[in-house]
Amino acid sequence: MFKGFWKSGDPFIWLTGGALAFSLIMILSLIAIVAMNALGFFWPREITLVRLHDGGEALGHVTAHEPIPTATGEDSLRYRTQFQVGNRDLYGADFRWIEDEKIAERSQPAEAIYFERWEWGPLFGSIKAIKDGETVIAEGFQAGWEKFRELHPQTQERLDRIADIEKKAIGAINAQIERLRLEMKGVARQSADSIQAAARTAELEKEVQTWQVQYEEKSKELQTLRQENNRYRIVVQAAGGREKDMPLAGIVRAFLPNQMHWGQRMALYLTRLWEFIWEDPRESNTEGGVFPAIFGTVMMVLIMSMIVVPFGVIAALYLREYAKQGPLVRAVRIAINNLAGVPSIVFGVFGLGFFVYLIGGNIDQMFYPEALPTPTYGTGGILWASLTLALLTVPVVIVATEESLSSIPREWREGSLALGATKWETIRKIVLPGALPGILTGAILSMARGAGEVAPLMITGVVKLAPTLPVDLHAPFFHLERKFMHLGFHIYDVGFQSPNVEAAKPMVFTTTLLLIFIIIALNLTAIAVRNRLRSRLRFGTF
Amino acid sequence: MPDTQTIERQETRLAKKTGSRLQLESSKARTRWKKIADRAAGVVITTGGVAIILSVIAILFIIVAESLPLWKDPVATPLPTVDLQQVTGRALAFGVDEYQEIAYAATSKGTVELVSLTDLSLLQSYPIKGLQNQNITAAFRDDLNSVIVVGTSGGAAIPLRVSFTSKFVDGKRSLTPNISEGKPLQIDPQGRSITQLAYAEEEGKRNIAALVGPRTLLFYAQREKSSLLGEGELEEFRADLSSTLTADLTTLTLDRYLTVLLAGTATGEVQHWRVEEPENPTFVDTFAPATYKKAGISALGWVLGDRSVIVGDTAGGVSVWFPVREAPGSQIAPYQQIHVLSSHTAPVTAIARSPRDKGFLTADAAGTILLHHSTSEQTLLELPASKAALPLLVFAPKANGIQSVDAQGQLFRWELFNPHPEISLKALFGKVWYEGYDQPEYTWQSSSGSDEFEPKFSLTPLAYGTFKGTFYALLLAVPLSLCAALYTSQFLHPSLRNTLKPTVEVMAALPSVVLGFFAGLWLAPVVEKIVPAVFLMLLILPLATLGASFAWRLLPLSLRSRLKPGTELFFLAPVLVGAVYVCVSLSGWMEATFFANNFPQWLYDTTGERYDPRNSLVVGFAMGFAVVPIIYTISEDAFSNVPQHLISGSLALGATRWQTALRVVLPTASPGLFSAVMIGFGRAVGETMIVLMATGNTPVMDFSMFNGFRALSANIAVEIPEAPHGSTLYRVLFLAALLLFILTFMVNTAAEIVRQRLRERYSKI
Repeated sequence: MFKGFWKSGDPFIWLTGGALAFSLIMILSLIAIVAMNALGFFWPREITLVRLHDGGEALGHVTAHEPIPTATGEDSLRYRTQFQVGNRDLYGADFRWIEDEKIAERSQPAEAIYFERWEWGPLFGSIKAIKDGETVIAEGFQAGWEKFRELHPQTQERLDRIADIEKKAIGAINAQIERLRLEMKGVARQSADSIQAAARTAELEKEVQTWQVQYEEKSKELQTLRQENNRYRIVVQAAGGREKDMPLAGIVRAFLPNQMHWGQRMALYLTRLWEFIWEDPRESNTEGGVFPAIFGTVMMVLIMSMIVVPFGVIAALYLREYAKQGPLVRAVRIAINNLAGVPSIVFGVFGLGFFVYLIGGNIDQMFYPEALPTPTYGTGGILWASLTLALLTVPVVIVATEESLSSIPREWREGSLALGATKWETIRKIVLPGALPGILTGAILSMARGAGEVAPLMITGVVKLAPTLPVDLHAPFFHLERKFMHLGFHIYDVGFQSPNVEAAKPMVFTTTLLLIFIIIALNLTAIAVRNRLRSRLRFGTF
Repeated sequence: MPDTQTIERQETRLAKKTGSRLQLESSKARTRWKKIADRAAGVVITTGGVAIILSVIAILFIIVAESLPLWKDPVATPLPTVDLQQVTGRALAFGVDEYQEIAYAATSKGTVELVSLTDLSLLQSYPIKGLQNQNITAAFRDDLNSVIVVGTSGGAAIPLRVSFTSKFVDGKRSLTPNISEGKPLQIDPQGRSITQLAYAEEEGKRNIAALVGPRTLLFYAQREKSSLLGEGELEEFRADLSSTLTADLTTLTLDRYLTVLLAGTATGEVQHWRVEEPENPTFVDTFAPATYKKAGISALGWVLGDRSVIVGDTAGGVSVWFPVREAPGSQIAPYQQIHVLSSHTAPVTAIARSPRDKGFLTADAAGTILLHHSTSEQTLLELPASKAALPLLVFAPKANGIQSVDAQGQLFRWELFNPHPEISLKALFGKVWYEGYDQPEYTWQSSSGSDEFEPKFSLTPLAYGTFKGTFYALLLAVPLSLCAALYTSQFLHPSLRNTLKPTVEVMAALPSVVLGFFAGLWLAPVVEKIVPAVFLMLLILPLATLGASFAWRLLPLSLRSRLKPGTELFFLAPVLVGAVYVCVSLSGWMEATFFANNFPQWLYDTTGERYDPRNSLVVGFAMGFAVVPIIYTISEDAFSNVPQHLISGSLALGATRWQTALRVVLPTASPGLFSAVMIGFGRAVGETMIVLMATGNTPVMDFSMFNGFRALSANIAVEIPEAPHGSTLYRVLFLAALLLFILTFMVNTAAEIVRQRLRERYSKI
């Protein structure tokens, strides 16, 4: 029996099959682990209150449960539980391990509230009082919760208005003042006639003054809004007899996770997911949303593909249709093929040396001398990052286009030429449409590659927190010299450089899932487009 | 393909024959138009294509161009020689300001003369007040503090501080020199004439060593008394160190930490005193450059940082010495000769160190100046200056100029361009003995807080890290992906293959930042808890597979034969998951039984190795993730393209499926497999984010799988944002990028050529 077993060779076949199965398990479990960690993050879970034998208390989410590691090696039967107790400003740490034997009682109090805050992470507790200035206007949970529901939306509305003023009105004023400053610098630098220069400077100075006045007005408006918001304060009763007195406006949202039913939970879950995609980050990127990163990634990929697709196609057309086929073209082809295998960091280094320092530095000297020594284009920015990635991905487009060009049947071309079409007409009307699926596939694949690259971006313009998007309402609307945020870099930065990695982990997992989703979607689109167009083309012709 | 022009001609002919005149006209216009469009398209595409290809190739040139200046020799441009003696009289000590516009010299006339170097006019002649009819018999310049100290015939020393204040008036710089004379310090109470002296000061403390005869060495120190009232009362210490002398002294030097006094003798020895306690200077030892027989020491000086001493002798030899501990942990650290530099042909007369790096100048009695760099053991420049000896030598304060005065009072000047003196092939790739190290080492350490820090640019540990990471990645990826590819191409039903292959290929699209994050934040902590299980899996997983295949055989043949080949996978997957689960749950037991319940601690106790949670094992696994799909795809293609008739032939001759795969498919496809592995290698070598995130990024050279490393690529990513444009670090990082480029490009080209050959071979079979 055994003899036959070995001799059949089947065990070896199974071993090779095991390798395939293992690879598949690896990839599926990676995606599963990321998805599990990410998707649970926004779900409003129950809050548990534990009373300890020594009289202590803890209130928070249960995050882990494990046997206590012992020094001696005996597998102990003692367990411990990890709680996310939040309240970083009160307790100093977000997480706390408690040995199970110390716990006297666990309960899920209906009054436990989850406060999502603008600063300091989540707060768990219950409302003790709501104050207007120093006077208490509601006391206890019931009254407090009602008052909270009444006042809180107003404060958030005011916050929205504050953000609106800061971003739009004050942003515009600052842009104007900055423009005038630069102009003044330019006048001082260039003009030979000092009297005229002084007159012009005075004129500009006056203009700055008027803007300054407007600025003052706006900031007064802001001040009143802030004062109004600071009037209402909330006193939160946290576990362990601690209290937190904070402005009502400092709370993003509060909910009662232990009283919610399934539908409410789902609604809240979706709201938070929505916020994750559409909001700005807070707390050094560990909370809030990732909208600027999504925006930066998408914009960079779009700029990149606008450059890479036409140029890649032209290069491929040249190589396949125009260049004289010979050893030189073959060598160039191999070189381009291999360029796809050159490490991305090398492209980043090239982008830094060539685009940023050489071209950017010269642009600055020619067009933005008044801003120097502060560089405008002579530092990393979205344009340089996109160009670098375009270089990185151009081999992908060239190779894909060439492949599809070479798959166009010879008869098509000859037929077209025989009918009297010129070479260009043949290419435009016959060859390119036929090669379209390949070109599109190449373009989408290059976008997928570009969206996932991080290393070259790190040195050509990505930052952890960009104050403004590269597109805004101030002329010239597209600010290609600006630094930007990127999903991939966001993962690296929050996961590895953030001061509170443990608290930031769920956020990183969610961002990772989003990035994986985008990239797999792009890849699947590429495959789908290829198959679709290919079959349609076949149907149409034959 | 028919020529386009012939077609056009045919077209025109056709039009002529058939069409009316009007038609002919419009057709003519159209043809011309077409022609123009065709030409234009040709021109645009050709120039565009060539430009794109050239710009892609330009990448290499830009990277080379940015790293090339590292290898350029320094350039010294001579400036016109000046007869200084005519202007100032005989100079005993000499210095220049930081812009090299004003020179100052202490002269034998008893004055400090300030000379403009732009028009050679005498700006100021400052008579030294403290001289009081004594003569200047010796002078010393402290380049750090720009202090000239003159020794007098009455045994006193007078410090003169020369400072410059620069003002910008109408965008032009104007320098105002200022000389402040200190009180004369009576070095020799007996009032003998000083022939040689050395001076050092730090925060108001001063040390002076002076010779009043070839065998009479005096030490003088001045300290601020620490009194409770805080009044700066000065305390003086004097000592006569002549009793330990065994030979005539020729030259002296003191360090800026006020701890060491070195004196060179005419018999070629250097004597070493500790002067930390000024009241009690103690003789420590004598060291001698043994190679220079019978030559006396003629000049001593410090390399920047005052740890390494430069010794010049009368035979022209130049060497650098610093204290090295006798054994690790030992307190005794005698001076050792570390670097030997190119020799002069005549006695060394003067030494001047660079104020910016570990370089220095030496001048000799035959009028030649050499520019050396201590750490990289290079002599960078030879400047023949004069026929006469050069007793005075100055390195400009910004290290961008050289000044030297010869015995006849001629001032020779050079403008110096020397941006990367520390770089040599040996410094980048070899072992280098850095100051303060016990032995030569490969070190990468690009920055530190201190100003006098010497950056250490050895690329060897980084290249080592790159190869280490690649090795562990390929260790996992090669067997896994080749086996998986063989199975996919030979034993899997085509319908299954069409779904499973893209799934593995999706893996290739996963961004490396995702893999790096996963490895660093999820895998590393998990692996740390279950190290034994990871090794157990190596054994259990294959065994489980074999077990499963045996179990499969027990199923009735009628059932088995009805299933598609490849259905085994669905049976195997749960078995493997179960095996992994068993391994993980056994881990605690194994750790308790074999590894004293704590594997990292056990590892440290038994082998002395630290367990780093972000280690090569984790990186290997994560990079394996990145490399598996690449090798898999290419090698699967190679396997699938093996001509079907070979396989059919083999099976028809009675070989089993496995025999066919092993004996026919594998050898035929082997070049393709080689190129697959090469391309996988190229990817692993250049991988940045995974190694950046999943290792500790410490540049150590240690092959242990429980340790991290720093790879070339990650190093670039970490350091280049902080490297100023054009600095040595910046260029060294470009060089690292160039190495990566060349390595991957060569590997990929080799793989590509092999693949093309293979394609040709298949088409012939």
